[in-house]
Amino acid sequence: MRFHFSLLLLVMAGLAVAFVPLPVPAITPQERTFEIDAHQFAYSPSELKVNTGDTITIQLVSADVVHGLYVYGYDISVEADPGQSATLTFVADKPGSFRFRCNITCGAMHPFMIGKLNVGSNSWLYRSIGLAALAVFGVTVSKKPKA
Amino acid sequence: MAKIELTRIPFIKNALKSRYPQLAVFIVMLIGYIFAILAGLIGTPVGSHNFSIVFVWIAWWAILILVAVPFFGRGWCAVCPIPLPGEWLQHGAVLSPPDKRPKWLNLRVPKMFRNIWLQNISYLLLALFSSVLLTTPNITGIVLAAMLFAAIGLSTVFERRAFCRYLCPVGGFIGLYSQTAPIELRIKDKQVCVTCEGKPCYNGSSAGYGCPWDVFPGGLTKNTYCGLCMECIRTCPHDNIAVNLRPFSADLAKPSTRMDEAFKAFIMLGSAIVYAGVLLGPWGMFKDAAYNVGSSAWFIYAIVFLAIIFVVLPGLFTLGILNTKNTLPLKQRFASLSTALIPLGLMFWVAFSLSFVLTNASYILAALSDPLGLGWNLFGTANAAWQPMLTSILAPAQTLALVVGLVWSARTAQKSANEAGTSSMPVVIYCFVATSLMLWLLL
Amino acid sequence: MKRAELISRILIVVGILLAVGAPLFFWARTPLIHARMAEDGGWNPDVIQAEVGKPLHLKFTSDDVVHGFAVGQMDMQSVDILPGKVTDITLNFDEPGIYTFFCTRWCGLNHWRMRGTIEVSGSSSDPEPATVPLYVSLKLDLDAPHDAPVVPNGKPLAISGQSLETNLPIDQSAEYYRSHSPYEVFESLQNTPLTDGQRWNAVAYFWQSNTTSESLANGRQLYAQNCAACHGENGAGNGVFADDLVQAGEASMQSMSGAMNMMMQAPVDFTDPRRMLGASPALLQGKILRGGMGTGMPMWGSIFTEQQIWDLTAYIYSFQFEYEK
Repeated sequence: MRFHFSLLLLVMAGLAVAFVPLPVPAITPQERTFEIDAHQFAYSPSELKVNTGDTITIQLVSADVVHGLYVYGYDISVEADPGQSATLTFVADKPGSFRFRCNITCGAMHPFMIGKLNVGSNSWLYRSIGLAALAVFGVTVSKKPKA
Repeated sequence: MAKIELTRIPFIKNALKSRYPQLAVFIVMLIGYIFAILAGLIGTPVGSHNFSIVFVWIAWWAILILVAVPFFGRGWCAVCPIPLPGEWLQHGAVLSPPDKRPKWLNLRVPKMFRNIWLQNISYLLLALFSSVLLTTPNITGIVLAAMLFAAIGLSTVFERRAFCRYLCPVGGFIGLYSQTAPIELRIKDKQVCVTCEGKPCYNGSSAGYGCPWDVFPGGLTKNTYCGLCMECIRTCPHDNIAVNLRPFSADLAKPSTRMDEAFKAFIMLGSAIVYAGVLLGPWGMFKDAAYNVGSSAWFIYAIVFLAIIFVVLPGLFTLGILNTKNTLPLKQRFASLSTALIPLGLMFWVAFSLSFVLTNASYILAALSDPLGLGWNLFGTANAAWQPMLTSILAPAQTLALVVGLVWSARTAQKSANEAGTSSMPVVIYCFVATSLMLWLLL
Repeated sequence: MKRAELISRILIVVGILLAVGAPLFFWARTPLIHARMAEDGGWNPDVIQAEVGKPLHLKFTSDDVVHGFAVGQMDMQSVDILPGKVTDITLNFDEPGIYTFFCTRWCGLNHWRMRGTIEVSGSSSDPEPATVPLYVSLKLDLDAPHDAPVVPNGKPLAISGQSLETNLPIDQSAEYYRSHSPYEVFESLQNTPLTDGQRWNAVAYFWQSNTTSESLANGRQLYAQNCAACHGENGAGNGVFADDLVQAGEASMQSMSGAMNMMMQAPVDFTDPRRMLGASPALLQGKILRGGMGTGMPMWGSIFTEQQIWDLTAYIYSFQFEYEK
C-alpha cells in the first residue's frame, strides 16, 4: 500500500516536472537578422538564440554549392545558390530547441549538415534532466528492488 | 518471475521446427542482401538516394535497434543472410540432414580468439570510418560483400559459425543487448539434458546440425551467444527446448565477469555519445574530422574516439567504484558493475536512432521507387521530397527513452551491487551524469 | 538427393543469379550522363554526338550536388540535374556545328569549368554568315589599362541628366554608345556650358536610354546566375568565391614561374568608377566573350548570345549609374 502511494507521488512529481507551465519572462519581441554562411557540411553560425515571438530573418549565403535550410518543427525552408543569397522570414512563435538542416542534397555528409535554433530557453532539456534526477531519486529511495 | 513458453503454441512450435519457413525467409534475405551490394556498387554514388545506404543504414538499422534487439534479442541473427552461403558449403546441403563427414577443414577456433575482443575490434574499425561508411554507397557495398566473403572464408576453415560468433561487428552488440530482451531460448528440464546421450543439440544428429553457435543449450543462462537459429529445437530428441517470453532484462540479474563483455558495454555507450555529438550536433568541425579519413583531423578524431571509449568512460567508472568497500578484486567488480551500462547503452542508441531514423525515413520512399538510380518510378514515390517525420514528438520520445534507460540501469546497478555486496550509488550517479550528457547532446 | 533439397538449391541459385544479373542488366542498358563537380571530373561523357533533324534523347544524373544543364547560345530553359535523380532531356538541332553545354547551378569554385560539347553533324539548311564581334572589328586591346582619369563625386543620376540631354551634341546611334566609354562621352561634352556633375548625369541618362528595362532585367538575372558568385551580388568583387580565387592565385604564383604567373586573381570590382567609366560596352563585351585568359574569368563566347552579352553589359553599368526605376 505504502509502495503504491509513493509510486503515485513519484509519477505526479514527474508529470509536474514535465508539464507544469513556467512563468515566461515578458520580453518584447524584436526583429533579428542572421546571416548564415552555408558550406559543405556546416552552417556558421550554427547555433541561433532568439526570444519567443521574435521575427527572424535568415539570410542564407551559400559558399560552395547549392544549399538549403529547413527548420524542424516550423517546417519552413529556403534554398540558396552561391552568388544568389536568399532570405527566410518567420515569427518564432513556438518555444523550444529546433534543429535546422540542409534540405538540398549537397554531397556525402549532407544528411548531417545540421544547426540549432533555440527559441526562448531550452526548457525541455532542463525538464528532462529534472525527470532523470527524479527517476534516480525514486529508484534510490525505494530500497528493495522488485526482482 | 513469470515466463510464458511460446513453443507450447502448436503453430509457433511447428513454424520453428520446420525448415521451410526459415529457408523461405533466408532466400528472400539473401537476395535482398546481394541486391543491396549491387546497388551500392553500381547505383548512384549519392548516399541519401542509394538503395544500399537507405536500406541498410536507415531501414535495417531502425528495425534492428528500435524493434529487433529490444524485443527479440538476437532475432536478427535468426534471419541474417551473411552466414548462409558458408554454412551451406560447410554442410554440403541447404536442407538435408547432415552426413557425418565434416566438409572442409572444420577446425576449432583457437582458444585465444574465443571471446568477443575480435568483435570489439571489428566494430571499432567500422565505427571509426562510420561517417564515410554511412554516406558512401561504394564503401557500404564493399563492406557488405566483405562480410559475406569473410563468413564464407571462415566457414571453410573453422567449424560452425565462426564469423557470427567471433568476428561479426554487429553480432557483438546484438548479443550484449539481447540480454535485455523479453525472449529467450532455454531448456525446459535440466535433468533431461544431464541424462541425454550423445547431446545431439551440440553434436548434431540425423535430424539436424549441432549448434552452429558452438553453445550447449543445456548450459544456457543468458542470451548473449544463442543465435536463435532453432537448430536445437529440431535436434533435441526429448522435446526439451523452449522459446520463452520472459520479463525484460532477466539475464542481467546474474552479472557477467568477463572483461571483453564489460568493454563492449563501454564501447557501445561511448560510440552512442560520440555519434550524438558528431553526427547530430551543430558542430561542423567534428563532421569534417570524422569524414576526412586519413587527414590529421581524422587521426585526432580517432584518438579522441578511442580515448573516450577506453580511457575516459572506463576510467571515470573505475574511479567511481574504487572506494566501494568490497572483498571482490577491482577487476571483477568493474566487470560485474558495468552490467548496469547495458540497458543504459541500449536506450542511448534508441534515443540517438529515433532522431536519425525519423529525420531520414523519407528517403526510403524515393529509394524504393528507384533502387538503382536509373530514373525508375516503380511505386510513384521516386520524387518524394525529404521531410523530417514526427518532429513534434521526437524530443519527448527521446527523453522518455533516456529516462527509462536510466531507471532500468539504476535498478540493474542495485541488483549487481547487491550481488557483489557493495553500494550501487557510484554507478547510479555515473549513469545519471551520462544520461544528462546525452540529453544535452540530443535535445 | 531429396526433391525438396533440389528445389531449394535451384531456388537459391536462380535467386542469386537474379539478384546479381537483373541490376547489372538494367544498369548496362541505361546509359546515363553523370554530372560531377569539375574537380571530380565534370561531365561524363563530355562529348556527345548528334545529327541535324534527329531528336537527341539524353538522361542525366548528378553524382554529388545540384547541377544544371543548358546548351550555349540556344534558346532553352536550363534544366536542374539533381543528385541521385535522373532527368530526361530531348534536344533538337537545326544547324550542324559544335555546341557547348554547361552547368547552370554553381557547384564550387570551378563550376564554370564544367562544360562539354555536342558535335552535331549534318547539312546546314540556312548557312548564316559568321559575324565578327564588335570588339574585334574595333581592334580593341582587351588587356590594356583603361582607367578613366576623372571620375564623378557620386553616382551620376540618369533622371537629372534627362532634362539636360535633349539638345546635347551626342551621337544617338547604338554603334556610338557601344564603342565609347562613359568617360569618352563625358569628355565629348566639355564644350558645353554644363558643370562636371551635370555632364556625368547626362552620360548616365545616355546610358539608360541605350538600354531597356527588359534588357536590364535579363542582365540582372544572367548576372545573378553566372557572375555574382565571384563578382559579388552588389558587384563589389567580393562574391563568395573571391577569397578562394585570391588564394588559388597565390598558390599558383608560388608553384609556377614566368609565363604562368598570371593566374587566378581577385575578381574585378564593378563598383570601381575609375575602371568601369573608362570601359566601353564593346570592351566589356570582349572581356566577357573571351574571358580572362587564366585569371579565373571564364570565356562566355560559346555560351551567351550576342544579345545576352549586351544585356549583361547594360546591367553591369547600373553599378555606376543611378537609373530611374
